[in-house]
Amino acid sequence: MGFRRTFGSGMWAAVLLCLGTPSQAQEQLPLRPLPPGKTVFVLQPHHDDHTTDHGMGGLIARFVDEGYDVYYLRASNDEKDGTALPAENDKINLREALAAAKVLGIKEVINLNWRNDYTAPIPLNELRAQIIFLIRKYKPDIVVGHNPWEHYQKNPDHRNVGRAMAEAYWMAGLENVHPEHFLLGVQPHAASYLIGKARLDWGLGHRPNVFFELNAEQVRRKQIAYHTHRNVYANPATARAMRAELARLGLYLPEWEALDDQEAAVLMEAWHMEWISRQRGRQAGVEFAEDYYFMDEFDHLPGLKAYLQQHVRTP
Amino acid sequence: MSRSTLRFFAFWLFGGLLAAQQKVLVISADSANLVLSAGGLLAGMARAGADVWWVRVTNDEKDSWKLAPEETALRSRRESEAAAKLLGFRQVIHLGYRAGELAETPFTTLRDRLVIFIRHYRPNVLFIPNPYTEYDRVLDRFYTGRAAEDAWRAAAIENFVPPFTHLGLAPHRAGEIYYYAQPLDPQRRQAESTSTFVPQPKVVDITPMLETKIRAAQALTTSNEAMAQALKARLETTGRRLPLLDTLAPASIQKLVEENVRGLAKLCAQGTSYSAAEEFHYAGVEFRIPRKYRE
Ligand SMILES: [Zn+2]
Repeated sequence: MGFRRTFGSGMWAAVLLCLGTPSQAQEQLPLRPLPPGKTVFVLQPHHDDHTTDHGMGGLIARFVDEGYDVYYLRASNDEKDGTALPAENDKINLREALAAAKVLGIKEVINLNWRNDYTAPIPLNELRAQIIFLIRKYKPDIVVGHNPWEHYQKNPDHRNVGRAMAEAYWMAGLENVHPEHFLLGVQPHAASYLIGKARLDWGLGHRPNVFFELNAEQVRRKQIAYHTHRNVYANPATARAMRAELARLGLYLPEWEALDDQEAAVLMEAWHMEWISRQRGRQAGVEFAEDYYFMDEFDHLPGLKAYLQQHVRTP
Repeated sequence: MSRSTLRFFAFWLFGGLLAAQQKVLVISADSANLVLSAGGLLAGMARAGADVWWVRVTNDEKDSWKLAPEETALRSRRESEAAAKLLGFRQVIHLGYRAGELAETPFTTLRDRLVIFIRHYRPNVLFIPNPYTEYDRVLDRFYTGRAAEDAWRAAAIENFVPPFTHLGLAPHRAGEIYYYAQPLDPQRRQAESTSTFVPQPKVVDITPMLETKIRAAQALTTSNEAMAQALKARLETTGRRLPLLDTLAPASIQKLVEENVRGLAKLCAQGTSYSAAEEFHYAGVEFRIPRKYRE
């Protein structure tokens, strides 16, 4: 369908076009190598955001295996995540986050300790300033975090830390941004690549554009990092409830027979991580994979991308 | 052709003839994004006789190379006015918000200021940054677009900003709205919804205005130099080079900007018969007429 309409001069026309193609969702995404660099910054609000459903644990493990230094910047204190009192949750979640980071090979966890689930009313520019300073200090080539443009993202921390990241990773390279940092011995530095995590299959919001392949060892570490978070994930109560439900249906899981509820919960989470990694792998035509939205170094200059591809020389 | 189709065809023809009296209000965060996303269509409207006013929300103070923010803001202001002149605009209104700091500007403060401009100029066409576009890392555009979209609605409702209503600034509804963005979002051509009242993707032929758009983009010399210098620096630190930027002279930067505008025009023209285009999400008068009566 289309409306044709001429403007006063009659010289030119504006034509309304509806160009939607719902089949885009089924397009085969490319498997891509890791972007070049030495340092990776994982910028996340929570202790467990590097391990959740669609994961980034596998990708982090792969970065480490391929020689990158990976730092984890945890923006919130996670006081509400878990069934204990806030201060207690804060302590447990930090301990588990450090253990999971170690499994994945992360070099350092930097905690900003903003109050969990209260990033909506905080001065976002202040959070951004902290991230900018750390980007200038650690000089990452790649930042990885929540896709700040994803729709239906109910968690304010994911949205706000994502937004602070979306600006910080390139604004850290500008001399006129937070010049007070330069008194502390850092220089402007911009990261060049952004990798946005798909949180869950929520609507049309996040549509990944790449797969990164994982090997079995990376999936294994991703599994362990995930169920290391006992306070929120591998909880015995989950396994107990599942056993009861299966019993009601006259079923049981032979693999669970010799296990207590804690062990059964761990196994269940490990299966989940393997299943999702295999699922993405099948879609990518390999054994294991994770999917992301990848922003390349010149994606912010869409008009120049073709020109640069044609004219940039590499000696 | 049915009688109702004919009636609407006549309606559109008449609408076209009215273009000479069009009043257009443009709202932008930074200047470069407006010129690069919508400069061609706006130049065409101005050439066809429309009055175009531009409310520029931020001062672009950080978009420069080795230049203080104050100096950058001043130069960007002059250069934006030069670009506006080339595009045929009547006036630029500079709100002077510090670029890159909009996250903490109260949404309603910005919205209510924009309401005043809409009620004062009483445009029939509004251009706003598309706050729904994805993968644009300059979030000033998102914050401005979000406030401008609500200003479009609020300007038409009497109970918004009552002191100004009291002064005689009557509510006003702009009949048409263009959401603009550079083609960064891979899903930009998918309609958000098939419902009647949702803005739809629209590709506009800008072939006759392409050269004007290039000149207007080139007028933004301060931000253009920043783009060229940052690009050159990035390539150099990774052992690469772009021969065009071997000597960073004004002429090579102008050429880079020309390539950028031509590249954008080509990208937006993909899948159409045009050689140069711009893409928008558009809602016009017809979107207030239920689809069943339009087809
Ligand atoms: Zn989280």
